Amino acid sequence: MKNQDLVEFLRTSGVCEVCQLRYLKARGTEYRDVKETLQKLDVKLNGNVENKEGNEDQPAKKARLGVCTTCLGLFSRDFQMELLEGILASDFAKYDCQKIVLAICLPMSLQLRQLAMWFALQRKFGASVDSSNPPDVPIKEAVKLILHPIICEKLAKEYDANGLMINIDLTHKLEDEEVEKLVKLNKEAFPAKAAYQKRIEISRGLLEKQYQPSKVRAETFEKYFQIPGSTVEEPLKLTSIDLQGPLVCVAGKYRKLSRELSHTPWILNGQRLMEDSIEEIIIRHVGPHFTEKLDKITFMSSGREDVDVRCLGKGRPFVLEIPNAIRSCLSKDQAFKMEQDVNESGKVSILHLQVVARDELTHIKTGEEQKKKFYRALCALKEPVSVEILEKLQISVGFDIQQKTPIRVLHRRPLHTRPRTIYSVKAKVQRGNPKALVIDIVTQAGTYIKELVHGEFGRTAPSLSSIIGKPIDIQALDVVGIDLNWPPEVDNAIHTE
Amino acid sequence: MSILSEDPLEPFYFEHEEQEICGKLVTPITDGFQEDYPTVVDRFFTRYYYFKGEVPYQVLYHSNRICLICLAPDHPALNQGISSVNFDIGNVDRSQNVVKGKGKKGGMILQAESTLALLTTESGETYKVPSCIRGKLVEVNTSLVEEPKLLEQLPEGAGYFAILLPKIENCDAIKASLLTQEQYEERLKIKKEVLPETETSDDPQIVKMELAT
Repeated sequence: MKNQDLVEFLRTSGVCEVCQLRYLKARGTEYRDVKETLQKLDVKLNGNVENKEGNEDQPAKKARLGVCTTCLGLFSRDFQMELLEGILASDFAKYDCQKIVLAICLPMSLQLRQLAMWFALQRKFGASVDSSNPPDVPIKEAVKLILHPIICEKLAKEYDANGLMINIDLTHKLEDEEVEKLVKLNKEAFPAKAAYQKRIEISRGLLEKQYQPSKVRAETFEKYFQIPGSTVEEPLKLTSIDLQGPLVCVAGKYRKLSRELSHTPWILNGQRLMEDSIEEIIIRHVGPHFTEKLDKITFMSSGREDVDVRCLGKGRPFVLEIPNAIRSCLSKDQAFKMEQDVNESGKVSILHLQVVARDELTHIKTGEEQKKKFYRALCALKEPVSVEILEKLQISVGFDIQQKTPIRVLHRRPLHTRPRTIYSVKAKVQRGNPKALVIDIVTQAGTYIKELVHGEFGRTAPSLSSIIGKPIDIQALDVVGIDLNWPPEVDNAIHTE
Repeated sequence: MSILSEDPLEPFYFEHEEQEICGKLVTPITDGFQEDYPTVVDRFFTRYYYFKGEVPYQVLYHSNRICLICLAPDHPALNQGISSVNFDIGNVDRSQNVVKGKGKKGGMILQAESTLALLTTESGETYKVPSCIRGKLVEVNTSLVEEPKLLEQLPEGAGYFAILLPKIENCDAIKASLLTQEQYEERLKIKKEVLPETETSDDPQIVKMELAT
């Protein structure tokens, strides 16, 4: 099968030049200049070959203007213009994104037409056309090779799977009619399946998998559809364009000053117990830059502290997951302003605010048990501390404890005994108040510190209480460090002014 | 200076490191210290009491409805000297209790009068420790079996026999069926005054009625 013969056959079957290239299995950039590529492939251009319809240019041009029988105009200039106009007429301008992705839903008619041409080529060129590998570059792939670069160029955007998603729905006038025929064809072509399936689900996936010459006979197909595909007058129709902004992840570290602020909204029996929460304060100031729908934002952090625990030091890593964002960029100035606004709350402070790639969320989501947490606890003895007790509470060699689920959460969590590693303990005493100890504790993430101190009736063992052999209680707790060096430190203040 | 250097605690004094967050200096953790800070039991639990006959037991009722079943401080066994604790009460071994998941599936369902454990004293008495409330058995304190003597000296709560989880809808009725701290103290007072009369009574219901009259 010579390229020239193939192209001439396609041409007479009403196939456009772009689709001709598809059947020549053109790749990537070869679609940019159709004529040049055709020439490179040793195919004479339409004007130069012997024209059966006469030597004048007029009729040849007309033939080209007709709707392609294989792509139904999908790759025509007119359609590109229509698509561009459609996108620009949508909320496209509302989105401040450099990256886009196209998701085009094609009518099933297109798949049927590829199959019709496949049969036609087999008839014309015989065994040189395979029965299970399509003779063309499939439409779906061709859309990526042809339409995507053009649309991106015209919109001056970059193509990126994580960009603004433009969902495009296409139909064709003949689609309903052809699907009806397809249902009948399907019963005949696959009677065994039809027998036990009450309702046959006709889908694009089914067409892709089952409908090829190795599985469906041309004669059966021809009872319902023309080979090659019939000529049509109307091109594909654009029915809708929907925009779906990207999922933007904004990371940073937070510190918490208040001992009366919950991590997330604290609601018991439909009643709010605390006015505000870390989650809400951060979302309130960071969210509006990216979306109007603040309630769709997900707040995540590397662990969490109790309501009455402060989080100091370098802070706790957190991420906001913002779906359908209208913006995916955050300048240092904007980030700095948000940091300042959050600080104004006087309860929470955020730092190192930045947009991060989605796959970086693994830092927060995985390996939680391997992380070390640093705490400072204010503890009380019933009697003044002795040097002996203080020395027992200087532990630099790690040890393991067994910790039962604390009673305070036992009503809503399963009962387990968890092994946890305590890496170090270092106790100090308050000057002038020998009952008050300040104990720095480094533990494996997931250790309940309050219970580690007093032992919770022996349910955490060993505990600081069992180690010194005396009752010891905890009055206040601060998180002073989390050994996760993520997100990277950025000083958003630097670029201001 | 010489006095300070002789202070054996000198190497252990806490020094607060300054840090600024939200434009404010972080206060030292020691600022919040309270001399009269309530105990764990006082902070999160309410004390209730249950009488099996004349023998008092304590229920520590957590604000999340988890209950710890303990001996009341006036339980006679504490004076008699405890020699053993056994969760194998004959027909069933409570220490074999297993719970799964958030819903504590598989936990034994106990009634207030169900025996939780057997307690023997050095004076040869045996007490059937009752469950005190209706609920699901979540956990049994098996360390008491190994070291029963500890019961005599453990701080409040640490000598719990078991952890029970009552149903939410039963909580009000359960609390009403138990004695509050005040009622308990009142009853002990009356008991001491009218010791000869009530000593023979073995039914807590009757005692309560006597109280009411």
